[in-house]
Amino acid sequence: MSGSKVPITIRVPLVVTGFMVVVSVFASERVLTRLDQTHTTQVQQLSDAHLEGLALALVDGMVREDIWQVFDVLDRSQRRPARVRPTQTIVSGADGVVIASSAPAEVPSQAVVPQAYLAAFVNGQTMAIVADRQVALAKRDVMFEGRSIGTIYASLDIAPLIAERREVLWTLMLTNALLTLTLAVLASVIVGRMMRPIGVLTDHLERSEANRVEVIPERVLAKTRPEYRRAFTAYNALAKAMAERQSLAAQLAEEERLASLGRLASGMAHEINNPLGGLFNAIDTLKRHGAEPVVRAKSLDLIERGLKGIRDVVRSALMTYRADRDGRALKPEDVNDLELLMAPEARRRGVFLAWNTELRDEVPIPASALRQIVLNLVLNACQATPRDACVRVTVTADDQAFELAVEDEGMGLPRAAIEMLSGRGGVPAPIGDGTGLGLWMTSRLVQEHNGTVAIEKGNRGGTKVSVRLPIPTGEALRDVA
Amino acid sequence: MVGASTIDRRTWLCGASSCAGTAVISSSHAEADDAPLRFGLTPVFLTSDLALLADLKAYLELATKRPVRLVSRRTYQEITALLVSRQLDAAWICGYPFVAYRNELDLVAVPVWQGQPLYQSYVIAGQSVAATGLKELGGTVHAFSDPDSNSGYLVTRATLVELGATPQTHFKQTFFTYGHRNVIRAVAAGLAGSGSVDGYVYEVLRETEPELVRSTRVITRSEWLGFPPIACPAAEAGSPTTARLREALIGMSQNEGGRKVLAMLRLDGFRSEPAALFDGIAAKMRIARRVPE
Repeated sequence: MSGSKVPITIRVPLVVTGFMVVVSVFASERVLTRLDQTHTTQVQQLSDAHLEGLALALVDGMVREDIWQVFDVLDRSQRRPARVRPTQTIVSGADGVVIASSAPAEVPSQAVVPQAYLAAFVNGQTMAIVADRQVALAKRDVMFEGRSIGTIYASLDIAPLIAERREVLWTLMLTNALLTLTLAVLASVIVGRMMRPIGVLTDHLERSEANRVEVIPERVLAKTRPEYRRAFTAYNALAKAMAERQSLAAQLAEEERLASLGRLASGMAHEINNPLGGLFNAIDTLKRHGAEPVVRAKSLDLIERGLKGIRDVVRSALMTYRADRDGRALKPEDVNDLELLMAPEARRRGVFLAWNTELRDEVPIPASALRQIVLNLVLNACQATPRDACVRVTVTADDQAFELAVEDEGMGLPRAAIEMLSGRGGVPAPIGDGTGLGLWMTSRLVQEHNGTVAIEKGNRGGTKVSVRLPIPTGEALRDVA
Repeated sequence: MVGASTIDRRTWLCGASSCAGTAVISSSHAEADDAPLRFGLTPVFLTSDLALLADLKAYLELATKRPVRLVSRRTYQEITALLVSRQLDAAWICGYPFVAYRNELDLVAVPVWQGQPLYQSYVIAGQSVAATGLKELGGTVHAFSDPDSNSGYLVTRATLVELGATPQTHFKQTFFTYGHRNVIRAVAAGLAGSGSVDGYVYEVLRETEPELVRSTRVITRSEWLGFPPIACPAAEAGSPTTARLREALIGMSQNEGGRKVLAMLRLDGFRSEPAALFDGIAAKMRIARRVPE
């Protein structure tokens, strides 16, 4: 998506609204201008007709400057109901002096024509609209036998026209507002519908980020329009590839677990082989001197201890192999078990393994994962540590977290290994590489349990790898269990 | 009051001319029974309500047993001229033309209003005007009804002459409305600051059109003068036509159709009066003709 925070389902209606407002303002302006022109023409025509009629009736009275006759005509004409009603009519003689007006109290006879009328007509106009007073002023020169005998001035009430204009304006505004609102809602709905497949795709992509890759179901795909179906199909191909990769990684992890056992195998073989010589000797001794009670007892004791040692080694191996099948929590014995398992390998490499285990109770983290992490890191440390040097393993746990520190005296981890271990840059599984698989596996397990890995220089010049796994609480715990 | 027609009573004065405006044919006077009786109406009175004209015509035809033609004109002068030249058998004219043409005219009957054949002339002004006399109305625009009207011109002119003035010197401007109702309209609208009006018309309008009259008030009332009479050419004074018409008028209150007409006119009836009834007007005329010093 773009950088804008406003969702497209709002942005599109906003744009639509904007366009509509522009269109309606333009259209309204046109309509009102036309209406204005029509009204002006109408007022002009009506006032022309009004003044024409008056002129005919007035000419006689004007020629004789007969106050009464002029007034009588004006007074009667004033009462005519019309769309444009005359509010005041003034008749002046050729000298500009009022003969009579329809409102003698305001404009008496023999007064001069009020300035309001004289000033209203410019450039030979015969009509002027005074909008703020809601009147139109009109004038007409009256001719008799080719000579001007005076002028008729009329003030026409155009309030009905102005009211009509206002009504039209309101109707326009209301209609446009309704139309705009409707279109905006419609646009929102349509865009919402159009954007729905994108939402589906986004949902799936977001879920795949959390390692829950899901294929978009076929029934959704079937209902989707072709242009989106292509995107969905492409996404599904990607999701399938990712799922395959994930299952491959799981398979790898399993194999790695067995591989780590394999790496221990020679040590374990020694461990089993060493007591075997003693056992055979003891059996020989028993064969030859079995009758002697002291010898027999001593030999049997020897055999028992040898067999116990073998049994312990075998059991540890089996434990590691079997660990994944149950999701049980880590017990202090598991760590002891690992000590036992690692001892032969360390011995084989001539490395001294110093365990410092401070576990009292169970740690509610699956034992298999923890064992794998410990095993991998300790094996790696043993590999890196030169002969006669020491590898220190510290295992602690409290309410918050399980912590493991493995410190070797080697030459330090290569850069690639550090990146692999810290899980930075989304390093893929080193499939086919043969190296670093253990560290990759460790990193993956740590991430799975929301843990962190810290790599630093050890006190003795080697590398100290610290792993911290938070103890899951509540629901998370149940999920793990 | 009476079952007055509620139809808008426009000026009998000007308006009536349109309904009875057919030219009066100049012909030798028809004495035959089927020749129409030509009866002139001046704009002296109230309104030219078509119902009133129709009822008056119907009553006169019934009472005189002759067809009647009602003749109206815009001014008093036109009717007076027609009457004097005997183109009319009779006409309802003002007291002023009657005295002015005393030798050419004779009385048929005189209307009785509020028990008397008399009326007054009023000088009116806008409701807000505080004047108490004609003198204080100097400088206003004054509306007269007709130059041949007693109440609507002569009385005021005579009064001014007695005060040493004329309408032209006393008022800022004067004009004629050719109707008493129009004088009231002009004053009510503010077109004129004051006006001379027939007291009878004013009083009746006060009752029939109170909104119009309300914005005016009476400043002065003249003495009682002879009510505008029905006159005939002097030569016809003794003719059967005149006698029949006089009978019809005087008997109006005895007849239902006649009472209906009287009710509309707010009159009690008609009666015979001596010409001396108009001496007061004659005196006014003499005063008015004097040139003020």
